[in-house]
Amino acid sequence: MFNFNRRISFIVALASLSILPMSILRAQDAGALLDLLVKKQLITDQEAEEVRAELTKEVSTTSAGKWKLSNPITEIELYGDARLRYEYRAGRTDDLQPLGAPGAGVAGHRDWQERERERYRLRLGLRITLADDWFAGVRLETSTSPRSTNVTFGDDSGVNGPFSKDSDRISVGQAYLGYKGFHDITLTAGRMPQPLITTLMTWDGDINPEGLAEQWKHTFNFEFGGGTTESAAGYSKEGGKGGAIAQSSSEPFKLKIDVFANFAQFVYDDSNPENPLGARSTTSANTGNPQLVPNTDAFMLAWQVGARFTFPKNIYAQIAPTLYNYTGNGDTFNVHYVGGSETLPNGGTSGSLATNQTGINSLLVFDMPWEIGWKLGELPMRIFGDFAVNFEGDDRALAAGHPGKGDQRYAYQIGVGVGQLKAKRDWQINVFWQHTEQYSLDPNLVDSDLFDSRVNMEGVAVQAGYMLSDAVTFNITYGYGWRSDSSLGTGGTGDIGINPLDEYQIFQADLNVKF
Amino acid sequence: MKIKSALILIAVGFASLEARADRLVIKGSDTLGAKLVPQLAEQFKAQHPGTTFDIAAEGSTTGIAAIIDGTAEIGMSSRRAKPAEVSAATGKGKNLKPTIVAYDGIAVIVNSANPIKGLTKKQVEQIFTGEVSDWSAVGGSGGKISIYTRNTSSGTYSDFKEMAMKKRDYAGSSQKMAGNEQIAAEVGKNPNGVGYVGMAYVKASGVKAMPVDGVTPSAQSVQQHSYAYWRPTFYYTNGEPSGLAKQFLDFTIAPAGQKIVAQVGFVPIK
Repeated sequence: MFNFNRRISFIVALASLSILPMSILRAQDAGALLDLLVKKQLITDQEAEEVRAELTKEVSTTSAGKWKLSNPITEIELYGDARLRYEYRAGRTDDLQPLGAPGAGVAGHRDWQERERERYRLRLGLRITLADDWFAGVRLETSTSPRSTNVTFGDDSGVNGPFSKDSDRISVGQAYLGYKGFHDITLTAGRMPQPLITTLMTWDGDINPEGLAEQWKHTFNFEFGGGTTESAAGYSKEGGKGGAIAQSSSEPFKLKIDVFANFAQFVYDDSNPENPLGARSTTSANTGNPQLVPNTDAFMLAWQVGARFTFPKNIYAQIAPTLYNYTGNGDTFNVHYVGGSETLPNGGTSGSLATNQTGINSLLVFDMPWEIGWKLGELPMRIFGDFAVNFEGDDRALAAGHPGKGDQRYAYQIGVGVGQLKAKRDWQINVFWQHTEQYSLDPNLVDSDLFDSRVNMEGVAVQAGYMLSDAVTFNITYGYGWRSDSSLGTGGTGDIGINPLDEYQIFQADLNVKF
Repeated sequence: MKIKSALILIAVGFASLEARADRLVIKGSDTLGAKLVPQLAEQFKAQHPGTTFDIAAEGSTTGIAAIIDGTAEIGMSSRRAKPAEVSAATGKGKNLKPTIVAYDGIAVIVNSANPIKGLTKKQVEQIFTGEVSDWSAVGGSGGKISIYTRNTSSGTYSDFKEMAMKKRDYAGSSQKMAGNEQIAAEVGKNPNGVGYVGMAYVKASGVKAMPVDGVTPSAQSVQQHSYAYWRPTFYYTNGEPSGLAKQFLDFTIAPAGQKIVAQVGFVPIK
C-alpha cells in the first residue's frame, strides 16, 4: 500500500512540476519541493533526481534556459529605453549685433538661429548582483556626448550616402563595480550612475560621472502618541453595552527619517603625460604671459549630507546640501573661464564664442537641492528647488576680465509639480523657474537642453508627460529663457552658435519606451 | 591495392576494439574515482572474468563531458549536471541520466581537546567565513580559530561553500589542504583548529566530529538527511544504461556494491 501511494505521489509530483510555466520554474526552484517530498518519504532520492534532471533538461530548451550565467552572479537585470524626439531649438542675438557688416553667416541685430531635428536614443544596460555583496553594472548608449544620448536622423556626412551610420554609434555609458558589504554603505567605482542628489540646474541628467563614490544611508523610525482610549459611558437610544461604551483610537504619529551622506571623487580631466620628456611646454592662454602647462589631473570632489523626512499621509521633505570643489588642473579645462563677451562678434577666432567657455578655475560651489511633496486626495504634488552659490565668484569674475562682477555667483531654481509617471494613464506636469548667473556654476555640467548648456540665463520650463502604457510615455518639454545680466556673455558650449544668447527657446516632443 | 586492404584491416581492427563488450570506460569525479570505483571494479571483475576497466578520475566535469562526447559509458560525478551541460547534451542528442550510487557526508571536525560540544549551522557559516574568529564567540573557551579547508580545485571546497556558507567566501586566513588526511592531521595537532572531512576521516587521531544543530554526522543521519552537510554522488549515463554499464551500475547499488561503498567511507544509499 505504501509503495502504491508513493508511486502515485511521485507521478503527481512530476505532473505538478511539469504543468508549472517553464519560464518561471527552474529545476533549482523545484529543489525545495522535491526535498520535501523526499523528507516525507513520498518519493526516493533517486526519483527526485530523475525529476530534477528532467526539469533541467526541459528548462534548458526554453529561451530563458539558454541564457548561461556564471555562478558568482546572483541576479541580473536587463533594462533600457528607446526614445524618438522632435526638437525645435532657437536662439537670438542681442541688440549690439552686428559688429561687422551683416551678410550670409554674419549675425545681425536680434537675429534668430533656429534648428529643427528628429532624433533617437537607445540605452541598454545590465545591473548585476554578485556574490558576497558585490555588484556591477554596464550600460551602452548612443552618442559620444556626456550630456546627450541623442542621435540626429540624417546628419551623417554624405560620404556613405543617405541613411549612413556615421553618427549611429554605441558608447559605453556606464561601467562600474561596487560593494555593499558594510552596513548602510555602498561603495562604487568606475563610470557610474549619478550617486548624488541633483537637479537639472547643476547636473545634466545624462552625465555618468567617472571615479569613486561612497554612499551612506540610515533610516530612523519614530512613533509618537497613539493607542486606544475608552470614553465614559454615554447615552444610547439602543442602550446596552455596545452603545454605552465608545472606543476611540488614535493613530500614532510616525516619522521616518532617512539620513544620508554621499561623497564622490570624480576624475574630471586626466593630464597626459604627467611627466613629459624634456622641458614642460608653456601657454599664454590665461594671462598673456607664458606659463607652464599644468600637468596634474583634475578631480571634482563632492560632499553631500542630507535627509529625507517622511511624515504620515504621504508628506515628505528632502534636502541635500552639497559642496563641490576641484583639485588639480588637467590638460583640457585649465584655461581660465571667460564665457563670452557682450562686445565681441559671434564669429571669428577672436569672437565671443572663441573665448573660453569651459574653464573650471575658481569654483567652490555650495548647492542645496530640496523637495517637499504631499498628496491632494490621490494626486501627488510637490514643490522643489535648488540654490547654489560659488564662494569663489570674485576670483572667477576677475579671471574672466570682469572684476566688478563677482556678485554674479548665485543660481536658483524653484518649481511645482503635479502628478507622477508610474503606470498607464498616469500624467505629470512640472513647471519651474531657473536663474543661473555667469560665475555661479560649472557650465560643463548644467543641463544641455533647457537653457542650451548655458549660464547667465533665466527663464521658465514646462515638462508634461502622459503614460500611454506601462512602458510607453509621451513627453513634451518647453523652455523659454533670456540673458540674465546683459553686460556679460552667456557662458557654456551649447548647440546654438550665439554668445551672448539674448533669448532662447526650446520645444521637445518625445515618445519613450522603457523596458 | 595492398595499401587499401591494409587500411581496411586496420579500420576493422579499431572498430572491433571499440566494440569489445567486456571493456567499460568510466571517467569523472576524483572523489568517486580515487578509491570507491576502482574497488568496485576489482570486485566486479572477480565476478565477471575477462572484463576490463578504463577508469580516469579527473573531476566531475570530465565525467559529464565524457557522456556528452560519447567517450565513456559512465560518468562519475559528485555534483549534479549543470544546466549548461544538460543543454550541451541535448544539443548533441544525448540524455544525461543520473543514478545515485552513494551519499557523501561532510563532517565538521575540531581538535579533541576543544571543549565545544556542538555547533549550529549559523555558527559553522560564521566560523568558515571568518565572521567570528575566536572560539569564545561560539561557546568555546577562547583562542583564535584556525581554519583548514580543501584547496580551491576540490569539488568539496565549493560544495561546502554552497551547503554551509550560503556561497560566501572562506575567511582570508583559512589554510588550504590537499586532502582529507591533511585536514584531519592539522586539526588533530592544533587545539584551535577546525576543518571539514569526509565521513571516513572522523575517527582520525586527535579530532572529533561536531554535531550540527544537534545532529551528529553518521551513516544513519546522512541517509535520513537529518544531518545538514551531505550530498549525493552519481553515475551519469546516456539515457538508460545497457550492457556492461548497466551491469556495473546494478552491481554498485546492489548490497555487495554498497558494502564496498561503506568500506571506503561513503554512506550507502540504503
